[in-house]
Amino acid sequence: YRDLHTFELQAPTRLIEWARENRVCVAGYGQCDGNEILQLIPPPTLLTKETQGLCPERDFKVECGGFSERPVYSLKYVPDTSLLVTSGPPDSSLQVWQVSAEDSDVIKSVSTIATENATGQSWAKIATISARAPWVLHGSRLDRVQITEVESRKNVYTAASRGSEELSSLAFLDCNLLLLCCATGRLCLADTRQPQGLVEAVPAPSVPCSEHWCMGTRHAAQGSEPSSQPVARLSSRGLLALTDLRKTSEFLALAKARVPSPGSGAEFLCVSWAPALEGYLAISGFDGTVHVYDTQSWDSSGREAEPIFVHKGHVFGGAGGSRDPPLVTVHTWHLQKPRTLLSAASDGSLHVWDWVQPCGKC
Amino acid sequence: LLMFSWCPGAGQDVGRSCILVSIAGKNVMLDCGMHMGYNDDRRFPDFSYITQNGRLTDFLDCVIISHFHLDHCGALPYFSEMVGYDGPIYMTHPTKAICPILLEDYRKITVDKKGETNFFTSQMIKDCMKKVVAVHLHQTVQVDEELEIKAYYAGHVLGAAMFQIKVGCESVVYTGDYNMTPDRHLGAAWLDKCRPDLLITESTYATTIRDSKRCRERDFLKKVHETVERGGKVLIPVFALGRAQELCILLETFWERMNLKAPIYFSTGLTEKANHYYKLFITWTNQKIRKTFVQRNMFEFKHIKAFDRAFADNPGPMVVFATPGMLHAGQSLQIFRKWAGNEKNMVIMPGYCVQGTVGHKILSGQRKLEMEGRQILEVKMQVEYMSFSAHADAKGIMQLIRQAEPRNVLLVHGEAKKMEFLKQKIEQEFHVSCFMPANGETTTILTNPCIPVDISLGLLKRETAIGAAPDAKRPRLMHGTLLMKDNSFRLVSPEQALKELGLAEHQLRFTCRVHIQDPRKEHETVLRVYNHLKGVLKDYSVQHLPDGSITVESILIQATAHSEDQGTKVLLVSWTYQDEELGSYLTSLLKKGLPQSTP
Repeated sequence: YRDLHTFELQAPTRLIEWARENRVCVAGYGQCDGNEILQLIPPPTLLTKETQGLCPERDFKVECGGFSERPVYSLKYVPDTSLLVTSGPPDSSLQVWQVSAEDSDVIKSVSTIATENATGQSWAKIATISARAPWVLHGSRLDRVQITEVESRKNVYTAASRGSEELSSLAFLDCNLLLLCCATGRLCLADTRQPQGLVEAVPAPSVPCSEHWCMGTRHAAQGSEPSSQPVARLSSRGLLALTDLRKTSEFLALAKARVPSPGSGAEFLCVSWAPALEGYLAISGFDGTVHVYDTQSWDSSGREAEPIFVHKGHVFGGAGGSRDPPLVTVHTWHLQKPRTLLSAASDGSLHVWDWVQPCGKC
Repeated sequence: LLMFSWCPGAGQDVGRSCILVSIAGKNVMLDCGMHMGYNDDRRFPDFSYITQNGRLTDFLDCVIISHFHLDHCGALPYFSEMVGYDGPIYMTHPTKAICPILLEDYRKITVDKKGETNFFTSQMIKDCMKKVVAVHLHQTVQVDEELEIKAYYAGHVLGAAMFQIKVGCESVVYTGDYNMTPDRHLGAAWLDKCRPDLLITESTYATTIRDSKRCRERDFLKKVHETVERGGKVLIPVFALGRAQELCILLETFWERMNLKAPIYFSTGLTEKANHYYKLFITWTNQKIRKTFVQRNMFEFKHIKAFDRAFADNPGPMVVFATPGMLHAGQSLQIFRKWAGNEKNMVIMPGYCVQGTVGHKILSGQRKLEMEGRQILEVKMQVEYMSFSAHADAKGIMQLIRQAEPRNVLLVHGEAKKMEFLKQKIEQEFHVSCFMPANGETTTILTNPCIPVDISLGLLKRETAIGAAPDAKRPRLMHGTLLMKDNSFRLVSPEQALKELGLAEHQLRFTCRVHIQDPRKEHETVLRVYNHLKGVLKDYSVQHLPDGSITVESILIQATAHSEDQGTKVLLVSWTYQDEELGSYLTSLLKKGLPQSTP
């Protein structure tokens, strides 16, 4: 490690979202009432590029918070607004919140975006964009994907159905292109300008055998094509498939991560690309570790890949030995500092760590 | 309960604490802090708020100081000697021992170094401390007949306490600064389920999510190690005790593990003072320290040796702990001057430094300092700051509220708008009211005092004998007389009350006239009335007495002829106050007239 900071949240979170001015948002996912949404100001050590050691301000500060009656499984800020959207069980409706840090430190519940036949479905996955207007893309299943305008709650687009598989994540590639990832591993592309159908489908990388898949996308730099960035898919068995959306017939790369057997479930599977390092990605959700990989050396053989770095902090941080070891619920990369990551685990811990590039590579 | 408060300065790390509480007619001042950011009179609270006329000694029942940090006791000598207060000042034993040292240090810096004039003198500090009454933990101290206080362990620094203030059955708990997680040399704060009407808690750090101690310590050791590895010297200015012990233990363990050879020194003045205080206040530290102390002398470390002035000139790496903590005078300043010019060296400030001290200047970034005799000192050594002082975060505050179960919570803090989230959190979780007054604001909290009343056994027996058997599920109405005598409340029967008070019982008798149309003779009318009442009032004792009157229970009815009209008879119905109900009933019954067909 170059640096490691460990913090303890009052309640564990399964999301870490970046907001304006380097704010970070976490939220509780407990079954009972009283889940908190917290917008945090990271310590100055994380805001600056240069790491300082004994800086007096090493703590996160809660800038504002809100109370959610339901567990918060997903949260996304709506760009260019002071709103954020959350979703969680028991149904696929969305909750809209207002953050007004200047006036008060309470994140207020503003409205609910209801969905048709919401009950009986699992929670909605969400993505936001504010290109033409503040939009939220949401849905829990492939046949229930829609875009809703956040403020007016009007439906702007509904994706044509191509099956009723459960979704594991979705993303805006740009203001017109949508990318949907099913839990089976299938990827679907849609164009909002063509409401007739989902355009392309990229099949699952392997014969489905009760694996659960999730995806990670990377934002293209300004000016470059959104589909130029490879999409990573991670399965609950540890398979990593990289796909170039312009050439969906073949894999860019296929590898296997060395992770424990699927017994740990797929609840917290997470894969993400490093925003400031080319070809680096991180995975978590199998145990108490976060793996960092350099995919530039990968091929399509599906061989086991060696991680560049493994963060084990959550395993050792725990209080009592008798309880189950903590499971990493989510991780995310720092937007500017290239080798800094944040990770959270089921025991409420929140780690910020900066790994050292092993010698010989740069 | 009324409350004034001067709260810690907005948005600043260190403000000033001074709170006035009015509880059941008693006035208590909690802490008397100095504002560290100001150089003029703004650093002292404005005591004219308390009482416009009249002496403070008459108005205040006592003053309580929670711990020795200057933002909690810095204005005390000013308050007691310059403004004028002669009443009792309560604080714990360690606080009483350490306060005057810090106050004197602070006075020296302000007056001698900065040349201020409107400040308290050394003699004032001494006179002020003469008014101090030291208290032990969990000892109930009677301030007067009605007011009592009790100190609880607060962690945070040596001797810091939380205070419970009780008058009758109303109580307030003031936390001062506290910490809910134990560290290497202090335990965690603790309150019993005292259920105060109000809990006043420090909340400036409520929004903080703290970096783990392990990380801070690891970084500290890394810095020291790096400096020593490159041949540099590390200076750590410390106050006599507390954090110094922690850091020593930390370094000793690290040196042992890494097999390091560089010498670590502890200045002798420090060891004597520290040993002295630790011996005095060993019960105030946590278990670990106590065990270590019992096994060996605090400062018999393998790798840490006593310092000699001459060592500072020795070549090669070393680590030195020296007093005073803010680099404003003495040995630490001397060493600093020798080492400042070399960039390989490092100074680590372990706490807040008062304005005007060298410590404060270098922490603010100054690298060229003017010393005595107009000499300029260029500071090339690395300057690091590390605060070990621990305060309760949101989780800690919730823990304390859970322990104490107060009915109301008051947050003492910086900016009001930034505490709304915590306020809601507390209100939702504990269903109590939460207040967050600003500087100078008064908060009124209504309490529902319980007044215990004893009921006499005789009365209880008598009342329960009337009517149905007592039912645990239904409230029962009882009649009695409330006697307030000799500071006790008792419920007794009216007869007993009269007897005890030596009062005579008065009888009230009512007489009502009812006119009846009846031309017959009086004794016939009486007979008619008697038969009528006998028929209607079957459950009552109705009697016809030989003298011609009728009694219904104890009510008397007599008939006379009307003076002017022979056809009208006047019935006199007479009853005592106790029989009011029956009397009224009888009267209205008779007013309805007698039935025609009576013999």
